[in-house]
Amino acid sequence: MTRKHVLDGVKVLDFSHFIAGPHCTRLMAEAGAEVIKVEAHTGDSARHLPIIREGRSGYFIQHNRGKKNLCLDLRTAEGQEICHELIKTVDVVIENFTPGVMKKFNMDWDAVSKINPDVIMCSISCLGQEGPLAKLPGFDYIGQAYSGLLGMTGQADGYPALSGMAFGDVSTGAHAYGAIVTALYHKAMGGGGQFLDIALLDCLFSFHEMNVQVYDASGGTQVPKRSGHQHAFVSPLGLFKCKENYIIIVAIGAQWNNLIKLLGREEWADEPRFANPLVRNENRDEISAEIERWLSTVSDVTEAVRILVQENHVPAAPVLSVPDVMAHPHMQQRGIVQTVDDRIFGEVKIPGAPLRYSQYPERLELQAPFLGEHNEEILREKLGYSAEKISALQASGVLSEKNI
Amino acid sequence: MAPQSMFAGIKVIDFSHFVAGPHCTKMLAEHGADVIKIEPLTGDPARLLPMHKEGRSAFYVQHNLGKKSMSLDLTKPAAQKICHDLIKDADVVVENFSPGVMKRFNMDWAVLKTINPNLVMCSISCFGQDGPLASLPGYDYIGQSYAGILDMNGEPDRAPVFADLTFGDVSSGTHAYAAIVAALFHRFRGGEGQHLDLCLQEILFSYHEMNVQLYDASAGAYIPKRAGATHGVAAPAGIFKCGERYLFVLALGAQWDKLAKTMGREDMLSDPRFADLSARQENKNAVNQAVQAWLDTIADPDKALKILQDERIPSAPILSVPEVMEHPHTQARDMVRTVVDPVWGPLKIPRTPLRFSAFPDIPEQTAGFLGEHNHEILNEVLGYSAENIAALEAEGVINTKQV
Repeated sequence: MTRKHVLDGVKVLDFSHFIAGPHCTRLMAEAGAEVIKVEAHTGDSARHLPIIREGRSGYFIQHNRGKKNLCLDLRTAEGQEICHELIKTVDVVIENFTPGVMKKFNMDWDAVSKINPDVIMCSISCLGQEGPLAKLPGFDYIGQAYSGLLGMTGQADGYPALSGMAFGDVSTGAHAYGAIVTALYHKAMGGGGQFLDIALLDCLFSFHEMNVQVYDASGGTQVPKRSGHQHAFVSPLGLFKCKENYIIIVAIGAQWNNLIKLLGREEWADEPRFANPLVRNENRDEISAEIERWLSTVSDVTEAVRILVQENHVPAAPVLSVPDVMAHPHMQQRGIVQTVDDRIFGEVKIPGAPLRYSQYPERLELQAPFLGEHNEEILREKLGYSAEKISALQASGVLSEKNI
Repeated sequence: MAPQSMFAGIKVIDFSHFVAGPHCTKMLAEHGADVIKIEPLTGDPARLLPMHKEGRSAFYVQHNLGKKSMSLDLTKPAAQKICHDLIKDADVVVENFSPGVMKRFNMDWAVLKTINPNLVMCSISCFGQDGPLASLPGYDYIGQSYAGILDMNGEPDRAPVFADLTFGDVSSGTHAYAAIVAALFHRFRGGEGQHLDLCLQEILFSYHEMNVQLYDASAGAYIPKRAGATHGVAAPAGIFKCGERYLFVLALGAQWDKLAKTMGREDMLSDPRFADLSARQENKNAVNQAVQAWLDTIADPDKALKILQDERIPSAPILSVPEVMEHPHTQARDMVRTVVDPVWGPLKIPRTPLRFSAFPDIPEQTAGFLGEHNHEILNEVLGYSAENIAALEAEGVINTKQV
């Protein structure tokens, strides 16, 4: 049969808000899954984040295209009953409340797996479902602090630096997506439903591709510590000043020889203090001075990158601002910057989803839902509710709708 | 009958090196796939990265658990034939060479799909398989530069800084893993094989959960820019000093009311400069200074953290990597995994963050020595005779080394 995308026909009930959960279900919706997003009457808090135009949040649009919307009060018995009935009809349930909240709504894994033993439930949290920190309020940067990521970012003698983006949330959404498709595959092969516990903390900690092992394997003698604009352990790997801009240079492998030739320092090839990236790091100030001296002789950062990369095969890149990236010809050609046309907001640019499938080269056309936009459709078509019953739920304040 | 593991019977041929590709195939191996890693005769360059013991790289061990190792000179036709034969019967191929290299080895998608139309092939690169930057040498931090990430880290009037961990590589491995499994699921439901083109730059760019839309929807009035220890938009949100420690504190919405009261600054609640999120954003220096002033009066970071966390105001200590590894929460969740390597003995690495209730344990696995499984694979999988294998060794098509 012809499918519109790889997850066409997969049904998802989505209780998530802000970014980590919504990014996961965004990836699923973009892969063709049918996602019903359940929101409280006040709406996902992301609906209040900038930029807001005519009450509509560009931030919300980015993370919620392609989902249907059911707005109901989860504290009411009727609201919970509707969700229980929907759980019977779906393949996946996803939520990112603080651990314990789904239990208050009678929808923790114990309850959900009784209603539908074949369902896959994914709980995303900042610090995991159990452990001493589990119940703390969690945000991306809280996970970054507890994972040691913030501790590794910034000048050695100063404050750690905060990255101006939520890579913990976004990448945890991608991890959750990976776990869910794995469980879907396993279910298709004859395995049953299961519970997935995905935490920002775990994901961010896994980003230490080197630090954990280096600290442990060195018997604690190599202590990972933020080291400003250069790498903590190996050299040369870091940021250098080039006229009014900055450039990153990575020359830790065979490229080291190309670099010292370019710098006119061929004699360094034979010196023990530059013998490998680790000892070079102990003498990195001398290397940096030579690199920056050379950079000061070049007309600008574009030319420096050209000479390093094209002529000398030394990996290097200009440090680009977000507007620079958005205007770059490479991004344009690959369609990395995606323009979506929202019904209220109009056109807005967002980062396009990074998963590319050769069978489905075109992105699906998707809209972000208004609050409660699909209340009627879902209750009528999925659960067979009558018009009277739906009106009664509206009147009693279980359901709510708003064009935001 | 339920399978023994999530990917029981799935065969992966892995041409990847360093981190992004190996992280992906490590996850596949941890969930039960049978992964054969093909390395050049000199080995994956990750084998040269620290720490080393008797020539064995712990860095390599971390990223290559559970894979069989085969070393081949891919420039030789005999080696390419071995790969083609293995791919005929495989489900997945993963590679992270610079675009064009697989074509030189006669193993680009155009060739492989004729050998095995049901194959899922995943190419991971820094910039993608096409576009003006595609052929540039790529590393995580190069991708971070071109994705506008590095520019967002550091003090506004100083050089940017970077995070000493390659979240681009690791998370690209995860994205690749997810895309591969989605494609396997699709294939199981009757779809064909396909090629997946993933790149670091695009994955890193997707981390801008706010910046791209802010810049575009404000018609360029708001230019995302690194803002040092505090957040560029929201306040209070940032890293503050308390005694000898740094603490992260964030208080949006109702948490702001609680924080103001906790700080004894009820006056701020009736001050129009701090009336709502956007007013506090405009006066973020004053808001952040009030938080710092309060922390100065407490002076004890443990005490400050207890007060904040008891009030459920989002807050955390900035921990070093050793502190994370020893933290009771980390221990309770087994976030640090100890693997036992034949050379290193016990070795600590981060646990893969996917947790499945049906398979709560990660299997005991080791990383292969270079070419450790050459004989086994050639003989048992492809039926090569001992003479054939000896000839390949003599011709320098395969080799073996205890590293």
